[in-house]
Amino acid sequence: MIDGNETGFSRRTFLASGTVATAAVPLAAQAKGRTMDQAAAVRAETGVPITLRINGGNHRVTVDPRTTLLDTLRERLGLTGAKKGCDQGQCGACTVHVDGRATLSCLTLAVAAQGRDITTIEGLAAADGTLHPMQAAFVDNDAFQCGYCTPGQIMSAIAIVHDGHANDANTIREAMSGNLCRCAAYPNIVAAIEQAAVQMKRG
Amino acid sequence: MADYSAPVPVPGKNMGKADARIEGREKVTGATVYASDAPVANPTFAYLITASVGRGKIRKFDLAEAKALPGVVAIFTHENVPKRADAEFFSDGGWVNTSFDPMESAEVRFAGQIIGVVIAETYEIARDAAHRVVVDYAPAEPSASLLSHGTETVDAAKVAKGWKDKEAGNFDKAWAAAAVKLEAGYATPTQHHNPIELFTTTVAWHGDELTIYEPSQFVWGLKNGVAKQLGIDPEKVMVVNPFVGGAFGSKGIMTQRTGIIAAIAREIRRPVKLVPTRTQGFYVSTYRAETRHAIKLGADKSGRLTALSHDGWELTSRSDDYKVGGTEATTQMYAIPNVTSKVHIVRADRQTPGFMRSPPEVPYMFALECAIDEMAEKCGIDPVEFRRINDTMKSPVSGEKFTSRHLVECFDAASTAFGWSKRNPKVGSMRDGDWLVGYGCAATCYPANTMAATARVRLSPDGSARVQIAAHDVGTGATTVMGQIVAEAFDIPLSKVTVEMGDTRLPPGPVAGGSQTTASGGSAVKAACDKVIARFGNRLPSGPALEAAFKKMNTGVVEEYAEWAPPKSTGGVAKLYTGRMSGAEGEEKPLLAYAYGAEFVEVHIHSRTKEIRVPRITGAFAGGRIMNPRTARSQLMGGLIWGISSALHEATEIDEKRARYVNDNIAEYLIPVNADIRSVEVILVPEVDDQIPMGAKGLGELGNVGTNAAVANAVYHATGQRIRELPITIDKLIV
Ligand code: FES
Ligand code: FES
Repeated sequence: MIDGNETGFSRRTFLASGTVATAAVPLAAQAKGRTMDQAAAVRAETGVPITLRINGGNHRVTVDPRTTLLDTLRERLGLTGAKKGCDQGQCGACTVHVDGRATLSCLTLAVAAQGRDITTIEGLAAADGTLHPMQAAFVDNDAFQCGYCTPGQIMSAIAIVHDGHANDANTIREAMSGNLCRCAAYPNIVAAIEQAAVQMKRG
Repeated sequence: MADYSAPVPVPGKNMGKADARIEGREKVTGATVYASDAPVANPTFAYLITASVGRGKIRKFDLAEAKALPGVVAIFTHENVPKRADAEFFSDGGWVNTSFDPMESAEVRFAGQIIGVVIAETYEIARDAAHRVVVDYAPAEPSASLLSHGTETVDAAKVAKGWKDKEAGNFDKAWAAAAVKLEAGYATPTQHHNPIELFTTTVAWHGDELTIYEPSQFVWGLKNGVAKQLGIDPEKVMVVNPFVGGAFGSKGIMTQRTGIIAAIAREIRRPVKLVPTRTQGFYVSTYRAETRHAIKLGADKSGRLTALSHDGWELTSRSDDYKVGGTEATTQMYAIPNVTSKVHIVRADRQTPGFMRSPPEVPYMFALECAIDEMAEKCGIDPVEFRRINDTMKSPVSGEKFTSRHLVECFDAASTAFGWSKRNPKVGSMRDGDWLVGYGCAATCYPANTMAATARVRLSPDGSARVQIAAHDVGTGATTVMGQIVAEAFDIPLSKVTVEMGDTRLPPGPVAGGSQTTASGGSAVKAACDKVIARFGNRLPSGPALEAAFKKMNTGVVEEYAEWAPPKSTGGVAKLYTGRMSGAEGEEKPLLAYAYGAEFVEVHIHSRTKEIRVPRITGAFAGGRIMNPRTARSQLMGGLIWGISSALHEATEIDEKRARYVNDNIAEYLIPVNADIRSVEVILVPEVDDQIPMGAKGLGELGNVGTNAAVANAVYHATGQRIRELPITIDKLIV
């Protein structure tokens, strides 16, 4: 049995290093009473310690060098907003912003994201809970059904507005075609982006 | 004029409020906890090893290299995986989507079969180890598809429980006498649901209690089925899955993976998290099997249909006789007095197929609605007019009356909005520059299914309420609709209603399939609300008077539980608690209730490259009471796009030699992207039906039926080419 003190990587120290308090709470609650985390021990032997800047906060974490940014967000940092729909760059569900650009986090290694500014769906709303205009527009226009593709759609949608690809319905459709929606909310997604683009330009 | 493209339609007659989804904020902030988002402490990660041959025996596993990797916890194969009991094929009264346990022995019955599971400390290690496992097979030649050598064809009526082929009048006589005749064959391909959420499973044992986080359209089914497999009391199994990331039938009936993962977790005494790859998902769950159809239609000189013969062939596995049997719909669609039909099941070396959005109607109505278009042309009658002439208010097979039917009204509404009158009936006569233009239409129908449901509703003195029902929101808007039913019953704002669903700690609701959640779950919720109101002497006060009433009753909350079962059914609720499908055929005598609709499509086909585009599609639907026009429109819109997809994009290609799926990923398995879809109009045709529960027929599957035929008929109008085998791709148009 390996315990946290031997490795220096108990779950508690991992959690203490995180700043995502809300997301980490259920993890901590369930892990209560356990100091042992066999995975942490394995990572300590083979992993690479890195620091990721996500939604304005720094996160220290030791990862297998093969770990994607997506799995690091989801499995290690409790940021499960970005979704895994294919893990190979085909669906867009994992889209986040890296230095302001829409990026597929399943095709990005966590180690390669060090020193970059990462924004996830969890980082869009204002501190007081006010939704980003794109988030609000998605609600207004019923631009989702199951909601699984939605975080990726919204991250891409914001990026295409910033990149100047949201001029009309046609350019929006083209620019958004890397984000699959199996529920097929496409016409409503286009309507949402048209609405938000106006507000974002004004704001 | 109404704007049929607006995301938020104005409610018409017999429609509820167009409220926004109550979980909308959660979904746009990434806060929704889908199954694989649920945190568990100290998890291990599973990676599946799947069969690379289509049939055969495993001679030997070489696990040495895989086991040597640091961080590998255990590797399970048929030799050491914990044994599980048979939970039986669901349509034989059991729980599982196949009776075949893929890890029971060395036998391989289909490609992609789960033959091993690697458990490791991290996902990366598990994946690495799985790829180091060497499997030595004794392969045998598989029969891959419907037309392969070595398949075995049986009559559905002989092997599928409760199935009877529909017959009426005297087909042979009517066919011989028919003035106009059509004989044609049609085919539809294998398709995979491909929800964006993968087929994940996370399990954690706490002592002898098991918690499962898994996307499911029927949590009570999963709970009971896994309990049966593991030989434990269902009370000890909890399934948590408040929201599903798309399902379309693929998460309705439990798969074999859950029992395997749960048994492994019990043995290694650690939680296990499985996220199969997209490719593995093509084999782990089910699919829509390929079908073929032989249709004969006869009519008299005036264009009245007199005879229909519909034979359908459907693929299934060697293990289970799954059938969809869409002749139930096609033989009752029009006023055709002389009918014969037969469903044939073809057993091949594939995994067992299953429900996929509008299971029977999508393939069978494709055949019928194409044939109707061909027949209309042979009779020299406009296809809309042809359907009007052959409309019926009662089943030609049983003579029973439909509870309501507004098919013609749907055709009128859709054809007007679409501008059908501008169509030049001459084939190939309409053009837009280099593009050939075609207009086509088709009808849709879907039965108003119901099954038993239960619910609990609580009202508090401040006028807030909570509803609990283990029904499921797969994107349909069910959460919002359940909340609206409570808000309406108590006359309180929707914002004061909390809805809890998708969790076996709640009273069991219906399977989220067959478009029955609103009618069935809604009826249970409504019944619970009525019981709450009854506690107040059948008149619910509001505001301060409500608070005073609570004081007088000397209680803090009023809570009621209610059960609902379809009229004339027996044992539905008891069966529901055991997690079996309570709407099984033969047990209940359902009303003859169908929702109907009409779809109109414009296609553009490039005269030289044959590229096909669909600039617009219009659908009009009559589905009884519309609980929420906003979510209803979205569902139907999604259905219409599924229909375009079924016509032009989707097909799982099969390697005939190896019985494997060739395009088993979401880039090569084509579904529409945003740029493929232009104008989509949805018209909600007001309809009142007092005979059916909640007055609602269900919409989830309606928009997706017939649409493929409407596209095919439009392609014919543009080009003169009848493409009778889906999907309609460029190669089929280049002659
Ligand atoms: S999960 Fe990254 S593109 Fe699909
Ligand atoms: S909303 Fe379900 S996949 Fe887009």
